[in-house]
Amino acid sequence: MIDPGAAPRRLHILTVIMRFVKRAPSTVILPPLILGFAGREFHPALALGAFAAIAAAVILSTWLGWWSFTYRIGAEEVLIQHGVLQRRRRSIPRGRIQDVSIERSPFARVFGLAVVKLETGGGEAEEARLDSVSMAEAERLRALLRGHRPVAEIRVGAEAPVQPGRRIVFAMSLGRVLLCGVFGFSMIWIAAIFGAIHSLDRVLKLDWEKLFGEAERFAFARFSILALFLVLAMALLLCLIAGVARTLLKDYGFTLTHESGRFRRIRGLLTRSEVVIADRRIQLGLVRRGAISGRLGWNSVEVQTLGGSADRAGRQEMAPFATAEEAAQVIAATPLPPFQRPGLRPVAPAHILRFAIHHGMPIVLVPGIAGFFLSPLWWGLLLAPAPVILAIFQRAGHRYALRDTSLQVMRGVLSQRDWIVPIESIQTLTVRRSWLQRRLGVATVTVDTAGASGWHRPDVSDVPFDSALALARALTARGD
Amino acid sequence: MTLAIVPLMPLERGQLHVIRLRAVRTALILLAAAVAGEFFVPELPMPGAILAPALLVALWIAGFAPRRRWRRWGYAFTGGELHVEHGLWTRVHTIVPTLRVQHIDVAQDVLERLFGVATLVLHTAGTDTNVVILPGIARSTAEEIRDAIRERIGGAQHD
Repeated sequence: MIDPGAAPRRLHILTVIMRFVKRAPSTVILPPLILGFAGREFHPALALGAFAAIAAAVILSTWLGWWSFTYRIGAEEVLIQHGVLQRRRRSIPRGRIQDVSIERSPFARVFGLAVVKLETGGGEAEEARLDSVSMAEAERLRALLRGHRPVAEIRVGAEAPVQPGRRIVFAMSLGRVLLCGVFGFSMIWIAAIFGAIHSLDRVLKLDWEKLFGEAERFAFARFSILALFLVLAMALLLCLIAGVARTLLKDYGFTLTHESGRFRRIRGLLTRSEVVIADRRIQLGLVRRGAISGRLGWNSVEVQTLGGSADRAGRQEMAPFATAEEAAQVIAATPLPPFQRPGLRPVAPAHILRFAIHHGMPIVLVPGIAGFFLSPLWWGLLLAPAPVILAIFQRAGHRYALRDTSLQVMRGVLSQRDWIVPIESIQTLTVRRSWLQRRLGVATVTVDTAGASGWHRPDVSDVPFDSALALARALTARGD
Repeated sequence: MTLAIVPLMPLERGQLHVIRLRAVRTALILLAAAVAGEFFVPELPMPGAILAPALLVALWIAGFAPRRRWRRWGYAFTGGELHVEHGLWTRVHTIVPTLRVQHIDVAQDVLERLFGVATLVLHTAGTDTNVVILPGIARSTAEEIRDAIRERIGGAQHD
C-alpha cells in the first residue's frame, strides 16, 4: 500500500495553540504575576511587559517545535524527524507496527484533534506519538497502517465462542490452596500484625498493665524462657494464618485452561480475576522451588509475556504450587521446550569468590566500622563465614546449558530457579567482564528478554572466558 | 586481551575530540564546585583539602581517561548482528541480532556535527538493554547500517 501523499507532513497547526494553552499556567501566567507582585505593590506594566515577552518566546519555541516535527508514511517505514538544533530521525519499519491507537482528551476534542500512537509491542511505551493531528488524518493513518499487517501473524478473535479445544492444564483443589498457604507465610506479617495491634491499642486505650500486668510479671519472673517461646510460637501461628488467608484470597479455585493458542487463568476468592495469555506472547519460562517447599518437591511455574493490546507485559503465574510432574505438564502445554536437568554445566569456581565478595563485603564492613563506635557490634564479624558458605552453595546450584532451541539456566541458593529462555526471544546478548573478572579469566553472559520484571534474571555468571565466547557465538549463530 | 567474538572496528577519530570536550566540560564543573567548596566550607584542615583531590580527579577525567575510553570502544556490523563493545573498568560487549531491532535512530548533537560523527541508536523489545547506543561513527556509516538493518527487517516481514 502506498501513501498518496508520500511527502513529509506536519502535525495540525492548531497543535501550536493547544500546546501554548497547556503551557500557559507555568509560563505566561505565573512568572509575570510573580514578577508583578515582586515589590510591595502590584506593577501592571512590569507584569504586562513580562507577559508579552514570555508569550512571544513561548509561541516562537512552540511554533519551532511544531515546524521541525515532520512525519512521512513510506512504503516500507514510518519516518519521523524532529528537533531544531539536534535533528532526530526515527524510522519504524511498517511491518513492526502492532497497533495504532487514537486518543482524544476532552481538550483535544474542542479543537477536533486526536493523538495517534504507533505501538510496536516493545513493552509499555509507545514508539511514536503524533500529538496532535486532525481526526480525519488520524482515521486515515489508522486505515493506512493497519492495512499493512505482517503476513505471518494469526489473528485470534477477541471473543472466540469456540470451546471444543479447551482443556484444563492445571487446577488447584482447596486442600492444595491451603497447603500452598502454609508455605506462603512470611515474616513480614509479624511486623504488620504487631503494628496493627499497637495502633488498635491506642484507639481502644486498653489498660494492658491492669489486665495482664500482674500475670505477666509473675510469668516472666518464673518462666521467662517459656514465655519467650510462647510469644515466638504465637507470632509464627499468626504468620501461618495470615499466609493461608492471603493465599486463599488470591488462589482459591485456581484454574488454568488452554484453547486455540492461548491460556486462560481464573482465580481468586472475593475478586475473581481472569487473565488471558496468548501462546505467541510467551517469552520465557521459569520454574521456582521455595527454600522449604522446594525441598519437599513443590514448584511454581511462571511465564514472562510480551505486553500487547489485550494482555499486559510481565510475569504471569501459571501454577503457584505444583508437583514436578504437574510443572512439566504446564511447560509442555506452552510452546516452550522442557527443562532438562542432565547435561547442565557448572560455572567456574571463581563464582564462589565473586559471590562471596559481593555479598560478604557489607556483612564484614558494617560491623567492622560500627564496631569502632559500639564494641559489641564486633560480634557481627562472626557472620563473615556465612556468605562464603552461601557462595559455595550458590556455585553448586548455578548451572547452564545451550539446548537446540533454548538457553537453560539454573540459579539460586535457598530458593532455586530453572529458566527456559527460547533463543528466539533473546533481544540482546551481553558479555560482561569487570576488572576482577578479567583477572580471574571469567565472564558473565546476560540475555535480555521482553517484559522482564523483578530482581532475578537468567544470567550465566562467571563462566570461563572461552566458554562465554563459545556460548555467545552459538547463541548468535542460532538466532539467525 | 579483547573479546574476540568478531574483529572490531575502532570509532572515528572525531569521536575522540567529542569525548575529550565533554570530559573537559565535566572537569570544569567539578573544579568550579571544588573552588566554591574551598571558599565556603569553614575550617578546612589545610588549604587545598578539597581542591587538590578534585584537581587530580579532573586531570584523570580530562587528561588521561578520554583516549583510553575512546580506544575501548569498538563495533562490527556483520549483517546478522551488530556488535558494540565499550567500558574501561567493566568491559561490555553487546550483541544485537538484526532481526530483533524494533526501530532505529540516527542522532547528531551540535558537538558531534562539528566533528563529523553520528550516534546510531537501536531499540529492541528487551527490558534492561532495550536501547543499544553506538556513538562516534561517520554519518554515512550510520545510515548504511540503518538501511541494511531496515532492509533485513523488511525482508523477514514479507517472507
